[in-house]
Amino acid sequence: MIYAILSVQKPPEANALLEGLTGMSGEPLQMVSVNDISAVLGDMNKADLVADKTNAIRFAGVIDQLAMHFTLLPMRYGSFMQSDDTIAAMLERNYDGFQQNLHKVENRHEFGLKIFCDSEIIMEELRARSRADERNIIHAETEIKKSIYADYVNQKLKLHRLEEMLLSYVDSVIAEIIQSLSKLNANNKIRKMVTPSNIIDAVFLLEKNKKTELVQTIEAIQSKYPGLKFVLTGPWPPYNFVDFAVT
Amino acid sequence: MMHDNVIDRSKDITILELLDRVLNKGVILTGDIVISVADIDLVYLGVKLMLSSVETMEQLKSGNKIIPK
Repeated sequence: MIYAILSVQKPPEANALLEGLTGMSGEPLQMVSVNDISAVLGDMNKADLVADKTNAIRFAGVIDQLAMHFTLLPMRYGSFMQSDDTIAAMLERNYDGFQQNLHKVENRHEFGLKIFCDSEIIMEELRARSRADERNIIHAETEIKKSIYADYVNQKLKLHRLEEMLLSYVDSVIAEIIQSLSKLNANNKIRKMVTPSNIIDAVFLLEKNKKTELVQTIEAIQSKYPGLKFVLTGPWPPYNFVDFAVT
Repeated sequence: MMHDNVIDRSKDITILELLDRVLNKGVILTGDIVISVADIDLVYLGVKLMLSSVETMEQLKSGNKIIPK
């Protein structure tokens, strides 16, 4: 099984480092290299590879150990190839892609930020901020008062406006995060409204020595939004910043 | 100010984050991923794996911030 793709400038030193590490089932780790790029692998039986929590944690532990010594791209759990020759051929075919991605993540860590909301508190905040919108809703209700569909339409209209307000609110939080993190030169990937309560799911890639600044920045943003729950995790190897599938 | 007990309460969140990364992210080796199913929901679509969350993040509403390692 292949654990990760490494950038290796000095193969003898890298081999020496690998000698002290083992794979998820205790197997010795080996390297297959093409120029300055290497795949780290362990000899495992496919049938033994079960996707459970214990194995996933073991796999992540191997990646974490490797990440302490190398710039790397984690492979997805369960990536098998038949032989060293097929691995070497795969490295050659995808050499440019590996190089570009390794360069992108060099000396950087990934962090995750999930933001959850308590819907009651957040709606109360939105109403307080949008008295004008409330008046517009009342005005619209008056206009359609005579319709036999008035109740239905008014209900839908209110719901639609609240959804718009929530989206606008989420966009404003995202804009503040992006602006605040711009000084840290962080790459980011942000999704919004993943679930009704998980309003923002973001990952950042930033230089290893900027962890403290990131925490302080997120704390400062969090203090402005008492109705939101911030969950910051990391540092992680760059799982979310590998932008290609190898062939 | 963050405290150690905050980290303890958030341990499950970290596990879910870890599982999401290990099982759903990373370099995809098209056509050669082989996995057996244990106690998580797994759907095989062609040669690529799609994995549903072990638990929904809804359960994390009461979660709090975790201090990065």
